[in-house]
Amino acid sequence: MDPLLNERREMARTLNGPEVTPDRSMTVTRRTFIHKSLITAGITAGATTYGWLPLINTIDLAFGQTAFKFAWLSDTHLYPKDVNTRFVEKAVRAVKEIQAMNPPADFLIFGGDLAQLGDPVELDLGADILKEVKIRKVFIPGEHDWYFDMGAKWERLFGKQPWTFDHKGVRFVGLDTVSRGPDYWTAKKMTPKERMGHMATLDGSVAGAWAGVGRDQMQWLQTTLGSWPKDRPVVIFTHNPLYEYYPPWNFWVRDWREVHEVLKGYTKVTNIHGHTHQVLYNEIGTMRSIGMLATSWPWPYAPEGVPALTKCHLRVDPGDHYDGVGWSQLTQSAAGRIEAEYMMWRKKEHIIGEAAVDSGCGDNVNQPLSPRLVDREWTYSGGHK
Amino acid sequence: MTIARVALAVVLVLAVAVLVATTGLDRAFAHKEKHTPEQLKAFEDILIEQVKLGDLLFHGDGATEKKMGAQLSKTGMACAMCHPFSSDTHPHEFPKFQEQMNKFATLRDMINWCIEKPNEGIKLAEDSDAMKALEAYIIWSNRGAKLDPGRH
Repeated sequence: MDPLLNERREMARTLNGPEVTPDRSMTVTRRTFIHKSLITAGITAGATTYGWLPLINTIDLAFGQTAFKFAWLSDTHLYPKDVNTRFVEKAVRAVKEIQAMNPPADFLIFGGDLAQLGDPVELDLGADILKEVKIRKVFIPGEHDWYFDMGAKWERLFGKQPWTFDHKGVRFVGLDTVSRGPDYWTAKKMTPKERMGHMATLDGSVAGAWAGVGRDQMQWLQTTLGSWPKDRPVVIFTHNPLYEYYPPWNFWVRDWREVHEVLKGYTKVTNIHGHTHQVLYNEIGTMRSIGMLATSWPWPYAPEGVPALTKCHLRVDPGDHYDGVGWSQLTQSAAGRIEAEYMMWRKKEHIIGEAAVDSGCGDNVNQPLSPRLVDREWTYSGGHK
Repeated sequence: MTIARVALAVVLVLAVAVLVATTGLDRAFAHKEKHTPEQLKAFEDILIEQVKLGDLLFHGDGATEKKMGAQLSKTGMACAMCHPFSSDTHPHEFPKFQEQMNKFATLRDMINWCIEKPNEGIKLAEDSDAMKALEAYIIWSNRGAKLDPGRH
């Protein structure tokens, strides 16, 4: 039997026992909004104003006591400006739109992969772009930000992880799921650029199962949540999803079992993650998990393992680099509901691929893909120029 | 069974018998010499060499591009950034009508479209070494997929 299938069945057995679901008092609804125009007025809360940008797959979660909203931006994958202006343009656009939110978001979470190759030039460029957002900003790193200098520049610019803060009845947590990769570089005496090259190749095997929370952060998380009532809302920001979706691309954390041990009993946990560059929704044990878009480019849905609860977005037009990407706005209404809204830039209507022929997941049939050969051969060093 | 069908069956059996008698069983249906293990290994090696070259091109390896006289991207984007493990390339679905090109297209047409449009690179000659290597990698990665030409 397919070992991945076994893993997923184990995940379901372990976490989805009888009666174990996220708290049903947190109602979830999903709606598809129809794009009306590309007017550039500011965003205000409420369905009547959604027309200024196309929205997709709205998920309402009820938690907290007071109305507020926050924005998610991640996976900008910036190259230096002289290599690629396309990603820069899209990051700048997202930042302008976040800054234009009216009323403003309470904070922006940057969810990692600011840079493409961890180059200090790229990280500085990203920091400059993000300066345009004047609201509070919090950061978690992605693997592309880390493995050139092992996070030195990232931490100088954006501080350390993990962190936590309480905001209007919600405990927010930011974890680092990228820095605990196995040491694949020392024995082979790789240069920083070679080490980064392997990490920057999603379908490479040299860096292995690098995504993980780690025992130290798990202990920290246990302590942090120890003082928080189990029926109160917790939002955990991570770069990688806190469940197993597709390990060959590190669409997971390798220690998801232990993470869920720590979270056991907390009934209103929402994990918001980047890395997968696609619309994703899942429920594992008592935790909900929502995947966010990239501004840079969309990854295809993995050939297997897409959560059954995900309503997949339409197949993306590869000729339009504004298609299938964007940022996210999370709004809490006065009624105590949170709407996670994908702010996509292109699709105008019928955003969810209802028919298999149109769906990004429906496109996955008949694809018995093979792991690569060339990346097993030293001195191959990943996809960088 | 009619008499005519019986007669036809008898004729066919006789014909095969004559063929076997005149040429020998081992040669009657053979159109070439048996392959030696060394030959088969050499054929496999040639394929895998092309698969590896194609993989390097597909993943944006600058040295391989230079060696093969190709410039597949001017944006820093590599094929694998949208197609990890060559996913969503669907070589088994070609030829088909391809909307982006508004024409009936082959896999090689599609490869060139991706090079020129999203990657803003320089398209390859259809029979170039780089094109063959890319095709080898994409098809090898999807081997076992059921042929399904025209599917969307």
